[in-house]
Amino acid sequence: MIDEQVEVLANDEVAEEFYMARLQAPYIAARAKPGQFVNIQVSTGGAPLLRIPLSVCAIDLDAGWIEVLYENLGPKSEVLSRIGRGVSMACLGPLGNGFAPPPAGARTCLVGGGIGVPPMLYWGSVLQRQNYPVTLLVGARNKGKHLPDELLAPAASVVRRASDDGSLGQAGLVTDLLQEELAGDAPHAVYCCGPHGMMRAVAALCRESAVPCQVSLEEYMACGIGICVGCAVELQPDEQGAAGSDYTRYGRICVDGPVFDARRVKWED
Amino acid sequence: MADLKVDFAGVPLQNPVLLASGTCNYGQELLPLTDFSRLGGLVTKTITPEPRGGNPPQRIIETAGGMLNAIGLQNPGLEDFVGEKWAFLAGLQTQVVVNIAGFSVDEFALTAARLEELPGIAALEVNISCPNVEAGGDNFATRPETAAAVIAAVKRNSRRPIIAKLTPNVTDITEIARAVVDAGADAVSLINTLVGMAIDVNSQRPILGNITGGLSGPAVKPVALAMVWKVAQAVSVPIMGIGGIATARDALEFIIAGASAVQVGTANFVNPNAGVEVVDGIQAHCDEHGIDQLASLVGSLQT
Repeated sequence: MIDEQVEVLANDEVAEEFYMARLQAPYIAARAKPGQFVNIQVSTGGAPLLRIPLSVCAIDLDAGWIEVLYENLGPKSEVLSRIGRGVSMACLGPLGNGFAPPPAGARTCLVGGGIGVPPMLYWGSVLQRQNYPVTLLVGARNKGKHLPDELLAPAASVVRRASDDGSLGQAGLVTDLLQEELAGDAPHAVYCCGPHGMMRAVAALCRESAVPCQVSLEEYMACGIGICVGCAVELQPDEQGAAGSDYTRYGRICVDGPVFDARRVKWED
Repeated sequence: MADLKVDFAGVPLQNPVLLASGTCNYGQELLPLTDFSRLGGLVTKTITPEPRGGNPPQRIIETAGGMLNAIGLQNPGLEDFVGEKWAFLAGLQTQVVVNIAGFSVDEFALTAARLEELPGIAALEVNISCPNVEAGGDNFATRPETAAAVIAAVKRNSRRPIIAKLTPNVTDITEIARAVVDAGADAVSLINTLVGMAIDVNSQRPILGNITGGLSGPAVKPVALAMVWKVAQAVSVPIMGIGGIATARDALEFIIAGASAVQVGTANFVNPNAGVEVVDGIQAHCDEHGIDQLASLVGSLQT
């Protein structure tokens, strides 16, 4: 992990308010594993002050770039969306722990909701290269918020979409699609990233079906390296380590995750 | 080359820049990203006698020019610190100040006494000013009597230099500063964070799980600077300046206002090498301006 000075190679809108930034980042590109993230300083002027943590969405090892995909929904992403080619930024990475691989030959199902799709694209493309069958389930509010086919295609042999308003794919939630998958020729491993409520529902479905599930969690984050202890996730009591110690009640998403076995997470609100 | 060395309440510092408590954890995470041997020192995240889980999320949010945090003193507890964390810290080529807190005067005293067993500790910073815990914390530093009681108890149980960390959430910080110095504090550090909050207007709920949090970052620097200047006139012990320091210029302002040393805090979250860059900037400033001894700048404010 280093604080790499990276250059913006491209930064384009790929869906409604969704942007893909390609960053020349040879150090990080050579090391980032699916599920890991970077923490990018979008302004050196103090506004915004903190960095923006983004999952790695794709890498090109030979060319030495990484891609991050983000939705413009806050001050940091808004500033990032206006940064053009040739601009240099500090990019800390690769950070956190990535996805644990499925057993050999496992049928895998990747579930991405909204801004949770990016890590699934990198993971799916790696799984595909390793000859795992991959089904990708994608949920979004509407057609405009769905990523284009060409971005999803390298990550899965089967792509299924759901949208809240039915404007693209099946009307309803991505968890409806997962329920169908689990009822049929069920996957052996599920990987999930998306809004908290969606991940909670996915974790519950997988538990009912006894299918292992890993989730990539998100929480408001400052440092990304474990020093601020801000991005806390409450863990199940029996996952909290030393008996009688309250210290491990909360894990740090940035260094203990962001990927967790769904059974380790205390989901109740 | 200007001499940046500081004698801070008997602790020799190679330069006046330390990393602030709660912004460098117990050091390990920063090892690949900064060079501790270039710093004056680091101040550990607060240790309490018992392990603490901390506050429910959301724990942080950026606000204009700064951030709010409500971590809630999550820490592994005194025994884990002595048994595990210290082994790493003791190997660092820099001064290590251990920050302690408790929920009663006795807990502060007990913690200080136990830490006597670790000979490498440079000093204790006594956190009587955390705004994010229900009992203890802030309560101690908002009244001169309780602040003094804690410091006196720690002082009785420790031979190390004692630094009292003060809260800005009081009417008159100089009153508290005088009380802790009278009680035996060898130095004071200020400021801890300012109590603040942020609200989600759509849900009409507080953004932080703890409802309120502590404001830090560049936004608090002018407040901190004024408090350091006031305290410098009220007490004769060394002052550790804290509050929104991100650059050498920020650090120099505090030094001119009367701080003998400074702590870099929130800036570590933005740039994990911020402390070393502040050191380099102070060195460059002194060399450019023909300042031989940084110590000559301390409290040099002309009014």
